[in-house]
Amino acid sequence: MGTSVQMTPLCGVYSENPLCYLLSIDGFNFLMDCGWNDLFDPNLLQPLSRVSSKVDAVLLSHPDILHLGALPYAMKHLGLTAPVYATEPVYRLGLLTMYDHYLSRRECSDFDLFSLDDIDAVFQNVTRLTYSQNYHLTDKGEGIVIAPHVAGHLLGGTVWKITKDGEDVIYAVDFNHRKERHLNGTVLESFVRPAVLITDAFNALNNQLYKRQRDQEFIDAILKALNADGNVLLPVDTAGRALELILILEHYWSQQHLSFPIYFLTNVATSTIDYVKSFLEWMSDSIAKSFEHTRDNAFLLRHVNLIINRDEFEKTAEIPKVVLASMDSLEVGFSHDIFVEWATDARNLVLFTQKGQFGTLARMLQVDPPPKAVKVTLSKRVPLVGDELIAYEEEQNRIKKEAALKASLSREEELKASHGSDTNAPDPMEVDASTSYVSSGSGLRSAGHLDVFIDGFTPSTSVFPMFPFFETTAEWDDYGEVINPDDYIIKEEDRDQASMQILHGDLDIKIEEGSARLLLDLTPSKVASTELTVQVKCGLTYMDFEGRSDGRSVKSIIAHVAPLKLVLVHGSAEATEHLKQHCAKHVCPHVYAPQIEETIDVTSDLCAYKVQLSERLMIDCMCTDIGDYEIAWVDGEVGKTDDMLTLLPLPSAPLPHKSVLIGDLKLADFKQFLASQGVQVEFAAGALRCGEHITLRKISDASQKGGSGPQQILIEGPLTEEYYKIRKYLYSQFYLL
Amino acid sequence: MASSVTGLGSVLKRKDSMPSATATATAREDDQLIITPLGAGNEVGRSCVFMSYRGKNVLFDCGIHPGYSGMAALPYFDEIDPSTIDVLLVTHFHLDHAASLPYFLEKTTFKGRVFMTHATKAIYKLLLSDYVKVSKVSVEDMLFDEQDILRSMDKIEVIDFHQTLEVNGIRFWCYTAGHVLGAAMFMVDIAGVRILYTGDYSREEDRHLRAAEIPQFSPDICIIESTYGVQLHQPRLIREKRFTDVIHSTISQGGRVLIPAFALGRAQELLLILDEYWSNHPELHNIPIYYASPLAKRCMAVYQTYINSMNERIRNQFATSNPFDFKHINPLKSIENFDDIGPSVVMASPGGLQSGLSRQLFDRWCADKKNACVLPGYVVEGTLAKTITYEPKEVTLMNGLTAPLNMQVYYISFSAHADFAQTSAFLNELMPPNIILVHGEANEMGRLKQKLIAQFADKNIKILSPKNCQSVEMYFTSEKMAKTIGRLAEKTPEVGETVSGLLVKKGFTYQIMAPDDLHVFSQLSTANITQRISIPYSGAFSVIKHRLKQIYESVEAPPEEPDVPTLIVHERVSIRQESENYLTMQWSSDPISDMVSDSVVAMILNISREGPKVTAVAEVEKTQEETEKMAHKVIYSLLVSLFGDVKVGEEGKLIVTVDGNVARLDGKNGEVECDDDSLKERVKIAFQRIQSAVRPIPLSA
Repeated sequence: MGTSVQMTPLCGVYSENPLCYLLSIDGFNFLMDCGWNDLFDPNLLQPLSRVSSKVDAVLLSHPDILHLGALPYAMKHLGLTAPVYATEPVYRLGLLTMYDHYLSRRECSDFDLFSLDDIDAVFQNVTRLTYSQNYHLTDKGEGIVIAPHVAGHLLGGTVWKITKDGEDVIYAVDFNHRKERHLNGTVLESFVRPAVLITDAFNALNNQLYKRQRDQEFIDAILKALNADGNVLLPVDTAGRALELILILEHYWSQQHLSFPIYFLTNVATSTIDYVKSFLEWMSDSIAKSFEHTRDNAFLLRHVNLIINRDEFEKTAEIPKVVLASMDSLEVGFSHDIFVEWATDARNLVLFTQKGQFGTLARMLQVDPPPKAVKVTLSKRVPLVGDELIAYEEEQNRIKKEAALKASLSREEELKASHGSDTNAPDPMEVDASTSYVSSGSGLRSAGHLDVFIDGFTPSTSVFPMFPFFETTAEWDDYGEVINPDDYIIKEEDRDQASMQILHGDLDIKIEEGSARLLLDLTPSKVASTELTVQVKCGLTYMDFEGRSDGRSVKSIIAHVAPLKLVLVHGSAEATEHLKQHCAKHVCPHVYAPQIEETIDVTSDLCAYKVQLSERLMIDCMCTDIGDYEIAWVDGEVGKTDDMLTLLPLPSAPLPHKSVLIGDLKLADFKQFLASQGVQVEFAAGALRCGEHITLRKISDASQKGGSGPQQILIEGPLTEEYYKIRKYLYSQFYLL
Repeated sequence: MASSVTGLGSVLKRKDSMPSATATATAREDDQLIITPLGAGNEVGRSCVFMSYRGKNVLFDCGIHPGYSGMAALPYFDEIDPSTIDVLLVTHFHLDHAASLPYFLEKTTFKGRVFMTHATKAIYKLLLSDYVKVSKVSVEDMLFDEQDILRSMDKIEVIDFHQTLEVNGIRFWCYTAGHVLGAAMFMVDIAGVRILYTGDYSREEDRHLRAAEIPQFSPDICIIESTYGVQLHQPRLIREKRFTDVIHSTISQGGRVLIPAFALGRAQELLLILDEYWSNHPELHNIPIYYASPLAKRCMAVYQTYINSMNERIRNQFATSNPFDFKHINPLKSIENFDDIGPSVVMASPGGLQSGLSRQLFDRWCADKKNACVLPGYVVEGTLAKTITYEPKEVTLMNGLTAPLNMQVYYISFSAHADFAQTSAFLNELMPPNIILVHGEANEMGRLKQKLIAQFADKNIKILSPKNCQSVEMYFTSEKMAKTIGRLAEKTPEVGETVSGLLVKKGFTYQIMAPDDLHVFSQLSTANITQRISIPYSGAFSVIKHRLKQIYESVEAPPEEPDVPTLIVHERVSIRQESENYLTMQWSSDPISDMVSDSVVAMILNISREGPKVTAVAEVEKTQEETEKMAHKVIYSLLVSLFGDVKVGEEGKLIVTVDGNVARLDGKNGEVECDDDSLKERVKIAFQRIQSAVRPIPLSA
């Protein structure tokens, strides 16, 4: 029997939620992507938390939040420990994307789901692979080979092929068959008849314009706004589709000699472009070619300025400009702030290039008609002044004292283990009041504990030494959480410590200039939030630059790949249902679209056994070359040598077998062929009329590739010489075995 | 598996010295793997190794010999037919590995595919353009020109490290080789036999390159470089210290230092060392370092881009600033721009001091004993650089005069080739059953071979060092395994059962499947062609029936269709009388059915022509028994003609007597009883053949 394959969606089915699926192959659990949304909603990760400890390997397919966003959180809080596999760009750009999200969140809220350290820790154990690299898993995964292949869509984007015992499972989400400026199209179509194909239905109902037309409209829309003295905001992702937009803009700007400034504004813009410059191997052939011939790196940008912080951006001249700013959801980040600023001016244009994630500001603005006004929260991190600063400084002193105390108690702490926190926690002020008191007190207590230990007492709670722990319960009022500046002051201190760890630690990951700035910024600060309603007067346009194959292409690609079993994920309920119906009818009978946490078994019902072909048998074999294949009819007798089945020649002449005609007749091609042979030929009522009287037709519905059997062709006509001539031509289209 | 070294040109000749039966000979022919160095066999330079197995031909590297010029520098391409090469793999951009590529691609019949890594391809073009400009040979001696290089660029395809590609069933991928930027070791897999070609490799990580990887799988054959033979490198730090010490002491004594180095590859490493040393020694800041290579400047963009092929160290540096942006090193265009006023360090190409700037400076400086010449890499036999390592008293200058050689000559190797320790550790790790040494000067190679033989004495490992054009032949009997899939495999057969189906071969994988499953497991599809033909006929249908019965054993009228007279011949061809004037005949295409239909058509036409004159002869309904009797009679007479003494025994048995051995043949089911096996077999086969002659069309279709 075939390899056992089970698949359980953890997130992102029948919806456009982030992608995260558990794929189990002969008991080895792959986590395919580990996405989160821009809102970082922990509820989405509930299903993942239940299985995260079982995961044996994580495969990432694209460097964006929807595909890898939850990784730091899952590793830190959900007990995910498996090794991660990704291509080099997915690793690098994914890291930058996470940094950007973290820094943007941090700038406007007290974001504590994960820290920069967590991001670094996760990305340090990523195994980087190149395209078409067959990576053989070891230990539990012995015999499984994983290989990333070009997916298009984003730089480094991956279609994963997982092979076990010659059976392929292909995971292809968000692929693009079209060649773009910076990316090659996917190679998905080169896989034929895999056992299982897992793909998305995201675009099943969308159809795209032609590329050239779309580029022109894009540029026209931007220029129109600029010429009318307005600014253009393109909310983009950190390091994904933004690259394509940058290249389009670069190209038109140098072609048209435009002088409007373009800014690429993310927390990590400079490093993104620096790294992207070194990823030429991963980009399209034309970019690689231009570099080989002229050493012109396409990402040596002449018109796009890279900016990594708000201050620098505010210093730019007050003239019409194009700004590509993260995040594309408009929820946080520079794009959010700029939107709030620019939305009220009718001259400005906000041009969306991707469909916003569900529930985000971008999505709200993309509805038709657009809302007249939106409510936004404008949050900013501001330095502390006056009383707050004094309070902060006092707190700092107190913490310093505690640190000193900690040092002096370090030995006792080790012994005290968990009790340290128990004793200190109830009243930290007491600790503050008198260092000597506490130190003597704890000395006494530790003696007591020693006695207890001797008596055989084992602490039942945590065994790690802990620093005084303050539990804060969030208070909520009508405007959200009540902000208590003191809480953040302590966290600020934590963060400083974290930053020191990074600086001193032996981390090979570069600290982003932006993050370094923020980390080293020791000025005490707090988050100030104001909620306001923004009148949306600016132009809002949506153009599809998502770089995904459109519905029609997806269908034809799936039909071409013709998997034995098909699993559909990620896409609205309608799109999923639509594609499911379509594929069940035209591609293969086994189409699955499981619900969240519904485990489906897609084990192929393929029977197979291996035989050795004996040399004597092979000598008599007359192979016919048909394209890539060589085909022969064999009749063999099964024998056995060393536990292996061997196929030996039959001792007697085989019975004649039913002859097999191999070939795929296309009536249109055949028509041309006949015409070239000088036969008068025309289509009439679905049949091919050849010469005077001969009719040729296909009987079965040949469009269905997977389900149906052989082609049925009917040739009829009166007994004439012509009949035999046409039949001869027809036979020439086939190979007879 | 056997291996042998044969003489020149045996590659193209068919070897049929095998004493065994022809069948085995063909099989062995198929299993023969041939490796022929066309260059770099017992020499350094013009690397080019040809490999052939199972009709697939692979060429590794395509270099020139830097010691020769014109056609003489090429590998022995005459030994092979370039049009048969499927894949050409180039390991790195050095001239002795890549420089005959434009010639091979543009001036020969080669039509296969060429692969190299991204970095190699980017530098290849610059390097060869430079080579064309610099080499001072007459126009007719030029192997190729700028245009050939540009055209070759379009044909070269790129491969990334670890990326697995497949061309005509040849699977291959490459590993990091160290040596220079983009250098690769290729692993080729043909029908399960793996061959590793290391090219130039180094297992030592240096300032910017990674060490060569140890492949995950052990190859069956390892074609390995042997440049340094049994020599051992000093540790890198000691070499670096010697290098900087020599330079430091020379310039502090007011001398000039010449470092002849090949423009790309190791030069970058030396510059990294020098730049770092100068940064750490502020007292040297007034001593200029010149790097005389406009080519290298142009290649900097390549070095800056492909940092992902370099080691972690350089990638981390890259994050802050570009490590290839040197602070203390000045470019030098030509000797005219060189202001030779005091101590200086000049790195200039070529590395062999054959000509060019390094030679000009050498000529100028060689007489002064304060000056020094540091040779930082492997020096090729036949170049001046090699000559001065023997410390001659005098040297010949470019203008033909002789001059005393007073300058100090140091040989501190930074060339990233493996030394004996690395080679032996590498091979120890891989344990390839066959080792082929290439890319080494004959003596060094011989010593290495002896030492390796001693090292692997107790292992069954063959070590060969073929000369140029000497073929190494090996035999790999790879078992052909087929996977039976689909309907055919619903039940695993027992011994003795028959398996019949389509054998589908793609690349080197075999599958056996039922014809109906073909479209499921491959891109091929099957078809059924139904033929329907109308024949004018106005006679009586029963006449046809009568005539058919005279010819065919099985002529049935289907019971379920009484309205239209219908006949089915051998369950293949059905004939219906559609109207008074014509019949239709329908069948499904297949050679036998086509034949039957043809005969039916001929018969019907005959009836029509003969008209009603012919009336049915008395209907003699032949019984089954009579047919059998007839068949029996035929069998008997045929057997008599074959064996002579044949008697009819009881129950229709035939008794065949040959040389006293008696065989009893059951004329109905073909069973033979006989004590003598060979006779039994003969009678059995004879009977089967007679059967198939008597009843060519099986009753059951």
